[in-house]
Amino acid sequence: MTVRTDGGIGTERRDRQTLVWRATASTGVALVVLITVHMVAHHFVVQGTGGLRSYRQVLEYVANPVIFTIELLFLVVVTVHAMLGLRSVLFDLATGERARAWISRALVVLGVVTVAYGVTLIVTLASRA
Amino acid sequence: MSDAIDERRSRGPVQRKGLGPRPVGWLDPRGRTLGHLAFVGNRITGLGLVFYLYLHLAVLSLLIRGGEAWNDFLELATTTVFLLLDVLLLFGLLYHGLNGLRVTLVGTGYVPNRQKALWWAGAFVGTLVLALSAFRILGES
Repeated sequence: MTVRTDGGIGTERRDRQTLVWRATASTGVALVVLITVHMVAHHFVVQGTGGLRSYRQVLEYVANPVIFTIELLFLVVVTVHAMLGLRSVLFDLATGERARAWISRALVVLGVVTVAYGVTLIVTLASRA
Repeated sequence: MSDAIDERRSRGPVQRKGLGPRPVGWLDPRGRTLGHLAFVGNRITGLGLVFYLYLHLAVLSLLIRGGEAWNDFLELATTTVFLLLDVLLLFGLLYHGLNGLRVTLVGTGYVPNRQKALWWAGAFVGTLVLALSAFRILGES
């Protein structure tokens, strides 16, 4: 059995898939850099307490404008990449157009909530330094 | 020949051929190639990392409650079991990151037809980094 659809819809879907693949790949490459910076700065340059920062150290670290910006960027990029990855897995489970549209909307909401919560967390901690 | 191509083009792209695998057929490891197993590994580590993202946000929320809550967590986080989970997390990050780079390099056409070589190169680099990091992490316990 072969199911074909209108050429116009197929092209639009293919363009969307290409856009999603490019977004996933580019955020993934950015994450390799950002996670390396995050891991090294957070855990591999700190002496004592198992490579973890104390409460005071975390506040001072996050309050640094460069680190603050990197952490915000990291939060946005990791959330976008995670939502696109989840979308890909969930689309395999739901092949219907309506179900996929709902999945996309739900993931946009989840992504926005995640970034909003993360930004609140970072800003609150930076303001306490 | 040209007519056949025009005729095929007029029918539009093939959206789905045959019944295809079940929705979670990608999890079935039977008769799969290295490329497919790498893809399955990428998805499993990806799902694990999404779970960790929210766990990480929940743990960092302890900072909002003040220094005492954070210091209590630090005591727990420096136990051997937690440090072993850190090594597992690092494995997930390295696998997902290096395999993702491989897929990107092949998919964008920068290094086409070198999937296997890139996979083994990633496995070598990943194992080396994981071993050094595990030594550093567990050496502190």
